[in-house]
Amino acid sequence: MTDDLKRIVLEACVLIAFGALFGLTMNHQLVLDAFAGSLGPQRQVMKTDSAVQEHVTVALPMPVLLDEVQQLMTAGGLLIDARSPELFAAGHIKGAISLPFVGIDEVLADFIARTDQDQVVVTYCSGFGCPDSFDLGMRLIEEGFSDVRVFEGGYPEWRDAGLAVAGEDQ
Amino acid sequence: MKRFQWSCYHLIRLSLALVFVYAGAVKIQDIVAFAGHVAAYQILPYAMNYLVAATLPYVEFLAGVLLLLNVRVRPALVAIGSMTLLFMIALVSVLLRGLDIDCGCFDPAGGQDVSAGMALLRDVGLMTLVVLTWWLRSRLTSRSEERGTRNAEN
Repeated sequence: MTDDLKRIVLEACVLIAFGALFGLTMNHQLVLDAFAGSLGPQRQVMKTDSAVQEHVTVALPMPVLLDEVQQLMTAGGLLIDARSPELFAAGHIKGAISLPFVGIDEVLADFIARTDQDQVVVTYCSGFGCPDSFDLGMRLIEEGFSDVRVFEGGYPEWRDAGLAVAGEDQ
Repeated sequence: MKRFQWSCYHLIRLSLALVFVYAGAVKIQDIVAFAGHVAAYQILPYAMNYLVAATLPYVEFLAGVLLLLNVRVRPALVAIGSMTLLFMIALVSVLLRGLDIDCGCFDPAGGQDVSAGMALLRDVGLMTLVVLTWWLRSRLTSRSEERGTRNAEN
């Protein structure tokens, strides 16, 4: 490697290190929260309220991967299927309960009444293209659930991994 | 011919710069959403997704700014080329595993989903631009150095 090329690569490394360090400085709390496994990376979002625009801080459900879902279930976490009752009946993750995001207002009060809000809950739906698990997670946080996570791979990833499923089609 | 190469170099450099400044800036505005996209690749443990999301956009942005300013162009190209190569490896792994995800390359909170295959094609295009910029830069620099040596000899 010529000296010129070495210098260029070294400068590129400095550039990457500087950018990464700056990013870490700006987002250290988020990264610390993520490594601590605690819910609550907070972000500022704009909420328009008629004439007044105010900043509010919103907690977001944390994404979890397949093996983490299994660990959370073993540790007593509650797995919630956000899909329609028909899809749930056809096939769902074994041990999950149905709480469809479509029509949530009709069933939410009953669900809240019989669920411990400090319990870890994991929502899922039909995989990465499906927003219902995230939207349900947001709604549960708004309703006071303290530790809400989203399994973005959802039912397809669980089923394709050969893990336990239940339902009419199984 | 030289004028043409000079124009091409600056045009491609500015295009690459704008792509990476934009890509970095939109991700910086919503780091959490970007972390979700990184998680969708299912390559890293979940906390690492946040570490990548908290750092990568700033490197993209910085490298883009250097290209824009025509300062430390080749180090910026090495950084951009390395990142693009990593994205390509990640996208190939997504395609091999048959995952259906949005690449999250640009607007992580936006609704415009780009499939892994399309994103891979785009990255091939970006990589070509990186190599082309490097090559044009080297040609233009060596010519100006030659001219400098000739002037010194005269």
